[in-house]
Order: sequence, then C-alpha cells, then structure tokens
Amino acid sequence: MSEERKIRVLVAKPGLDGHERGARVIAYGLRDEGFEVVYTGLRQTPDQIAAAALQEDVDVLGLSILSGAHLSLTRKVVERLKEHGADDILVLVGGIIPEKDIPVLKEIGVGEVFTSGASIPMIAEYIRSRIQPNGDR
Amino acid sequence: MAGTQEKLEKVRQAEKEWREKILEPRVKRFNLPKSPTNFYTPAGRDGFDFLEKVGFPGQYPFTAGNNPFDFWRAFAEDAARQGHRPDWGGGGSVGKYGGFGTASDYRDYLLRMQRIGRTGGPNMAFDLATQCGYDSDSPEAEGEVGRVGVAVDSLRDFEIIYEAYTTGDTAMDKVASNFTINAPAAVIIAMYAALAEKRGIPLASLRGTPQNDILKEFIARGTYIYPPRPSLRLFRDILVFCTEHMPKLNVTSIGGYHIREAGATRTQDLAFSMANAAAYLQAGIDAGLEVDSFAPMFTFNAFGGSMEIYREIAFQRAARRMYARMLKERFGAKNPRSMLIRQPATAHIGCSSTTLQRPLNNLARTVVGGLAAGMSGGKPLCFPPFDEPLGLGHSLEAVQLSLDATRILIHEAKVSDVNDPWAGSYMMESLTDEIEEGAWAEFDKIEKMGGAVAAIENGTMQKAIAKSAYEKQKRIERQEEFVVGVNCFTDENEIEVSVNRVVDEPYDEERMGSAEDRQKADLARLKRERNNRSVAKALSTLEKHAADEAVALMPDILECVKAEATLQEICDVLRGVFGEAQPVRI
Repeated sequence: MSEERKIRVLVAKPGLDGHERGARVIAYGLRDEGFEVVYTGLRQTPDQIAAAALQEDVDVLGLSILSGAHLSLTRKVVERLKEHGADDILVLVGGIIPEKDIPVLKEIGVGEVFTSGASIPMIAEYIRSRIQPNGDR
Repeated sequence: MAGTQEKLEKVRQAEKEWREKILEPRVKRFNLPKSPTNFYTPAGRDGFDFLEKVGFPGQYPFTAGNNPFDFWRAFAEDAARQGHRPDWGGGGSVGKYGGFGTASDYRDYLLRMQRIGRTGGPNMAFDLATQCGYDSDSPEAEGEVGRVGVAVDSLRDFEIIYEAYTTGDTAMDKVASNFTINAPAAVIIAMYAALAEKRGIPLASLRGTPQNDILKEFIARGTYIYPPRPSLRLFRDILVFCTEHMPKLNVTSIGGYHIREAGATRTQDLAFSMANAAAYLQAGIDAGLEVDSFAPMFTFNAFGGSMEIYREIAFQRAARRMYARMLKERFGAKNPRSMLIRQPATAHIGCSSTTLQRPLNNLARTVVGGLAAGMSGGKPLCFPPFDEPLGLGHSLEAVQLSLDATRILIHEAKVSDVNDPWAGSYMMESLTDEIEEGAWAEFDKIEKMGGAVAAIENGTMQKAIAKSAYEKQKRIERQEEFVVGVNCFTDENEIEVSVNRVVDEPYDEERMGSAEDRQKADLARLKRERNNRSVAKALSTLEKHAADEAVALMPDILECVKAEATLQEICDVLRGVFGEAQPVRI
C-alpha cells in the first residue's frame, strides 16, 4: 500500500427537514480534518442515502436530523444498510435529539450521537478511534 | 461652519495626542497587540447630516423608528394596571406559534388555549409534508405527519381547524391568522379564502400573514418545491390576487431571521433579504401593479440574531434606512407606509444564540436581545423562552420568565420611553453607516449577477452563508469567540442551575402516535366522498394555465381548493409543469 486511503464520510439529510447549517458545517469541518467527505444535500430518502453510502464506499455515515423524526428515519436507514450487507458502516447522528432517545438510537445501531455543543475535533477523534485510515473498522 | 471645522480639527488633534500619550502606552504596558476597546469621536463623523441619516421617528428614512410610538406602547400602562396579556396570545391579534397532529388535534388545542385566555388567531405551524407539498398519504410524508406542525391536506382540514373560530371575538375575520407556509403558500391562502367564502365572510375583511417568502427557503430554510423562477411567478400570482381581493393580508413576511440562523453574517443577512425583497417588489411592478398599491402589504419576519448588542441595534437602524431608500429611490414609492420594515420584533437574539448547556443562561441572553430590541424601535421582547434548545415545547415557567423580563424592561427599566436612544451617538451612527454600506456593496454584487433569483440559481448565496457558518464554528472552536458554558467556563466549579419546567401543552404521545393514521383515514374518506370529476376538471385547467407564464394562477388554485383537490394534487400539477428544485451540493 503506497498511499494511505483517507477515511470516507457521507453526511446526509434524511426526510424533509430543511435545517442544513449543521450538516454543512460538519461537512466542511471533517474535510478540513482530513477526511474525504460527501454531502448529499437536503431531502434524501433512506434508500437514496443507503445507495449513496454504498456507491461512495464510505466508512462513516453521518445523519443530521432536527425535525424530531430521528427515530423512524434512523431505523430505516440502518435497515437499508443491513439489507445491502453494509452494516459495517459506522452510523452517527447529529441534531436536536432529546437525551432519552440517545440510548434508543444506540440500540438501533448508531455508534454515537452528537448534539448541540459538540465540536468538530471531538467528532473527528471519535471517528478515528473507531476506524483505521486503511478502511479497517 | 468654519467654526465646526475648527472644532473638529481640534478633536482630531486631541485624539492623536490621546492615542500617543494615553492609549498606546497602556496597550504596551499590558503587552497587547492592539487595544481591546474602541472609542468613537466626532472626528469620524465629519459632515454628519441628522435629517438625512436619522430624521424623526415615523419619518423618512425611518432610521429612528417606524412610529413615534407603537400601538402597544400607547396602552402599555393600561395593560399593566388591568393585567391584560396580549403578549401571552390574548386579544384580537395572533396567538402563540404552534400546531401538531391532525386538523382536529390542532382545533382542540386552539379551543383549550381559548379557555385559558389565549384567544388570538391561529398562528399555524405546518408539518414538513405540508410545507413540502406532500399529502399525509404520500410515501415522502411517512413519519412526518403532524410532527413539527399540523397536517393540512385539503380544504376540509381548514374547515376543521377554524371550527375554533366561529363567533364573536373569535370569528375568523375578527382575529389575525398566521401561516408559516412558503412553497405551497398559494394553496393555503386559497384554503383560507375558500373557507371565508363558504362562511359568507368578505375576503377583504380577512387579516393575516402567510410567510410566503420562498426565495429565502432556497438560501436558508429548505422547504422549497419548484425551481426559483416559477416559485417567484407563484409569488407574483398571489400578490396580484391579494392586492385586488385581500388587501388586509400581509402578503409576505420576508425573513432576515432565517438567513442569519442559517449562518449568514450581519451584512449577508441584510443584503440577501433586501435582494429578495427587491425581487418580490419587481415581480409586482412587472405584473403591472403600482408600487404603493402593494408594498404596504409587505412585512418582515424580524431581523435579528446575535448577542452583539451595539451592532444589532445599528443593524435595525441600517435596515430601516436601506429599505426606505430602496423603496423611494429605486421603486419610486410615494406612500411612506410602503417604505417601512414592519416586523413583529426588532433586534431579538436568534435561537442559535441559545445554548443547551446551562440553559437558564438563555434568560440572560434574551434580556440582552430584549434590550437591543427596545433600543432599536421595537418592543423589548425577550425571546425565545430559555428552554428553547431543550427540544420542542416551551414550559410555562420559561414563558412566564420571558414575558416578565419584557415587562420589567418596559415598566421598571423604562427602556421604551425614548425613541432611538442611540441617535447621534458617534459609535451608533458610525456602526449604522458601516452596516448599511457593507450591505449595499453586497446587494449591488447580487444585482449585477441578475438579482436574487440568479444568485440562488448559481448557488452564490447558499455557498456564502455555508462558509460563514463554518467560519463561525471555527472561531468558537479556536476560542476567538466565546459562548459561556460551551467553550469557556466549563470546569467542575461551575454549577448547573435548573428550575422546574411544566409544559402547558405536553405533546400527547398517544395522539401524536396515531396522528398519521387518523389523518390518512380522513384523507381517504375525502377522496371517496368528493366529486372526483370536478377535481380533475379544476386540476386540468390549472395545468393548462400554469404552462402560460402570463396567466396569474390564484383563481385556478382557488377553484381546485373549492373542488376539494388536495394540496399535493395541486402541487403535483405544478411540479409537472415547473419541475422540481434540486438541492445545492456544497
């Protein structure tokens, strides 16, 4: 292996929620942290997101949800990933998530939940602790 | 005049000496790269013309305020003596922003609110499916029905909601209605009009405010459907209809607020909002309307957004002056009312200035916003309630503290006893000029590009604010900007202060859980019961007319609504003709 493969991240906005600031900031920030980042733009269905994650061959999928529909949307995305045998992708959730829902999200299969006040280095560090740059998870 | 120049020269000389002898040694003594404070003098205000730059409250260029005093101020003392609570959602104006579940869930909520004195008109939050032009039975709506607002699929839903507004002081034409709706605004306005017709209420007596600011959806809020150009055409069609039939409707509520919350700087916020306003005004002119016949129907959703009190006050002054100048000089308005930025609040802080960490601190933050509002031509509103960032649902306690803070600023601090208290301040006039000049420069760039629509199509505005949002995040992470309890003063010696929170209208889990199914069942019944032939006929006329840019579509949309076509059926016809907007990848 001559060149180290960068960790690849897909930042996605599932559902109809239009609050895009967080997703954009995370996309820029993780790019500056040295990750390869793709941002889907608004209003993606769980199918579209799973397809994009596979197509882009990502290690990490970050879902940004501020509408309150995080449980049903995350569940669907995780199911789609499983259907495609891509449940090794690390799924993260960010947004306005009530504390009581965090353990539920983790049970669904989410690695970590980042809410207001989380910093980009904090998220980057978490990703690095879970994924090796050569893609080993 | 020579005397003035001489005096200014003296000040300049004195300032130079002060810098050399007082300021710089002190900066050196503390080993700083530069002074952490500013001091403004008349030397920087050479040629300041009070009448041109400030003027009197209620007079062009409105820097000092829209009015010498507002309606609420006239009766503030009476309200205090009588314990009158219009600020709580009482009275004949508009109630608290809300909405959830099915149409009947929301109706029941409004009736409960009326029983506790919140008799204002409905201030409707719609669910995301409705905002994006999908019916509750659409696959796109799954999981979203009734969640961030009420689900509205057809005229029947409007009939149900307005069962809470039938007689006396709460008849639908005795209260103002707000609709936070943009892409499908034409359909919602048509529902409101159709319902009034059914009840025999003249459309001209209806008061209210649809948000109807589609351009900022592309920049900031994200609930667009069609591409920008046909979206602006729909704006024109609403404007033409309302100018003729619903003159008391505030036809748009142009958002500076959302743009700032999405990350825009102060300058970007002002420039982009003005560019959007210019596009709407031009749409009216191009439709053959006379500017003073419709510009007085325009409102703004409130500019505001940060904690920087001096600059936010200056911002409001600059915004008023800039808009007034644009209307008078560029659009040839003669009616002073056309030139006003009418907004429900002036310089309140944005919800993004509140923190999840140590949330009671948000009360202190909103008092700063309230002060800025009170000193910039508005009611000193301490918004939002401190528990805003904890999730949906303000507690009774938080709302009480928020209302009381405003009352304290009015009655104890007497913040609202002086108009434009900073007028003539070297600092304030300097900041006001700086903000206005910056915004005009940015505005001119957009105009050269072809205006707001072009700047949205090529992604300029979206990219600019995404970048600004990221820059701000970086400044916070590098501790170049401080947010107390978030990136500073976070060690274990700081204590968490909490108060009891009782939510007056907790989301009924059971109702919320079954809302989607109940709303879908109602929709299915509608589709069985209505005359599908007249629906098809109305939709086909709409489709034909939509293809002709010259036709104003409101009458056709009204016919569709009256035939009980659904919101999505109407939007789908327009999707077919106009296409759909694509998300911008950054």
